[in-house]
Amino acid sequence: MAWEYSEKTMKLFMAAVHGEAGTHLGEIENADGLGEHGSIACGDALRFTFRVDKHGTDPTRDIITECRYLTFGCTSAIAASEALCILIEQRHCTPIEALQITNEDIVEFLEGLPDQKIHCSVMGAEALEAAVFNWSQKRGVDLKAMGIHLHEEDMEEGRIVCKCFSASEPYIRRHIVEQDLHSIADITNAIKAGGACMSCHHAPGGLQDILDDIWGRGGVQVKEAPETPEALESVAPAAKEVSAYQLGKMIDRCVEKQIRPILQNDGGDIQIVDIKEHLVYCQLTGACAGCAGAATTLKLMVERSLKDSVDERIRVIAV
Amino acid sequence: MKTIYVDNNATTAVAPEVVEAMQPYLTAEYFNPSSMYEQARTPAHVIEQARQQVAQCLGGIDSDQILFTSCATESNNTAIFGSIQANPRRRHIITTAVEHPSVLEVCKEAARRGCEVTFLGVDRHGNLNLGEFIRALRPETLLVTIMHANNETGVIFPIEQLARITKETDPSILFHTDATQTIGKLPMDLKKVFKDVDMLSFSGHKLHAPKGVGALYLKRGTACRPYMMGGHQEKGRRAGTENVPYIVGFAKACELAIRHLNDERHVQELRDRLEAGMVEMIPYIEINGKGASRLPNTLNVAVHGIEGEAILYELNSNGICASSGSACTSGSLDPSHVLKAMDVPFTAMHGSVRFSLSRYNTAEEVDAILQVFPQIVRNLRRLSPFWDDKTNCPTAGATAPPERH
Repeated sequence: MAWEYSEKTMKLFMAAVHGEAGTHLGEIENADGLGEHGSIACGDALRFTFRVDKHGTDPTRDIITECRYLTFGCTSAIAASEALCILIEQRHCTPIEALQITNEDIVEFLEGLPDQKIHCSVMGAEALEAAVFNWSQKRGVDLKAMGIHLHEEDMEEGRIVCKCFSASEPYIRRHIVEQDLHSIADITNAIKAGGACMSCHHAPGGLQDILDDIWGRGGVQVKEAPETPEALESVAPAAKEVSAYQLGKMIDRCVEKQIRPILQNDGGDIQIVDIKEHLVYCQLTGACAGCAGAATTLKLMVERSLKDSVDERIRVIAV
Repeated sequence: MKTIYVDNNATTAVAPEVVEAMQPYLTAEYFNPSSMYEQARTPAHVIEQARQQVAQCLGGIDSDQILFTSCATESNNTAIFGSIQANPRRRHIITTAVEHPSVLEVCKEAARRGCEVTFLGVDRHGNLNLGEFIRALRPETLLVTIMHANNETGVIFPIEQLARITKETDPSILFHTDATQTIGKLPMDLKKVFKDVDMLSFSGHKLHAPKGVGALYLKRGTACRPYMMGGHQEKGRRAGTENVPYIVGFAKACELAIRHLNDERHVQELRDRLEAGMVEMIPYIEINGKGASRLPNTLNVAVHGIEGEAILYELNSNGICASSGSACTSGSLDPSHVLKAMDVPFTAMHGSVRFSLSRYNTAEEVDAILQVFPQIVRNLRRLSPFWDDKTNCPTAGATAPPERH
């Protein structure tokens, strides 16, 4: 799809490419901070440098005065780099303060980026972190002691699987193995990947394919004997205290003795359609049928009675 | 002779507004929506707009859950094979004996590939038995695929209820419905009323868009593997360069369908007029699906003692286009699997004719059909060995007199 770039993005891109005054293309020699992110292999790379006005006594009070970038990448990568420089210079801030600039700020400055291009803004933020880290080492600032933890854990380069969260395949793979993730839900909980549009779940080369590749597929051949699905393990009785037959009898008795008389008082009736494990399917007939409160009546009264008199695990499904 | 088209469950006339909407994308705006240049922006943009229009037609759901396909058959294949692929630990499918072949045959193929399939039967009116459905749900059930309304009889299944029971039993069971016959005829709200449906198929050419475009609603997060692979289109969930003009036409048709949903009352009046006229004028006919809730536009009438193809031929010589059984099964000599499942008497089954109307039909057309149809029946019955012309009754033993509904 042709990318839907904002006018701001296009303008910044054109200005930078044509080297207009006030743009930030280039590299500062002997820079006070230098950070890189990405590589030619992944199609995006950013080399970010800044110069500071050095404070005489306290390096943490250095002020960034100038930023430059060299970017290999698409329209939005170049525009995002430009945006990063502008945002920092505007603030007249210290390198540590500059860390507060997030990829969201860059996206906002660009008046939005297409979903698939959000990673371009992330790249800018990551390069900034790397440059600040570089500056801190040169100036002898102990960031950790100040309680500032930089993401050492950059997203590995590689094919982007989850576009919403810019999660690359190597990054996802590493987390699957390190954190012993076995399902798409595990992955989403651990690293967010796959948690937004969910298109990458079952797409070719998507999260399920990566899981299958790492852990093996629980039987591509559907002919293989199926394992017991988890959903029903929880439903199955923990101990075989009563048989299905006995349970059915107990449910019938409870319906006859307790539930039906109450319903019949209101001119209604109840019919059990089926019982599966602890699921009881029933239908309200007579005056109760079609009553707006019927579903609620079933849930509250029938289920409560059956839970109390027969088994706490019983669930009622109105049909 | 003027054509009277009453075969709208087979396909529909393309609405003039739809043709107009498609025009630019067949000519000036031919660019591939995946291309980078400025010119490709318009086609890329209109696809997203179309997606939203279609999503609107399904109850205002988020549009990224809509995949454009080539037809409902592709959508059905994707939903069924895709669910099987994505859920290898389960292997049981529930469907009905009266599905369209694009579900029925796919389920039979799934059975050949190692799945177990339950085909639920229907009663004499075409209704499912709820108890039978519930008893069919099992721990290893992976998919329930049941049509919303039947293409031959128009009988509507209680999809919202079936989907809810399925999900309350086990949320991991996927629920698919082929709603090809209902979108545009009945309101569809996947956000509220039909919220438990995971996948829904339909196509454009049943609602006045051209043939060759359809959609699959794939609820966010549904475990369904793509069927068409080899491209990033539709976020990797359906590869292949987007059919831009048809998608635009499809969306326009959906927009019109919402606007014309109230016209279905008028369509139903026409259908009821046709039905009442036939029942009044022709002895020994049955309305298939009469005892069930039916689509407003469909009339499937079983005429005892004569053969459907001859009826169609005679109707057509009067300019009337109708059908006998599903168009997809014509060509084989087997009687309709739907009517068979409903246990329609053999002699009536072969004499079944389907009239399916649209908002473009008129009362004059209905009256024109009523003018010729009784005579066609009389003429054919005169030739039939199963008809006694003297008593104007089926011959003894040909069939038990049908119940009058």
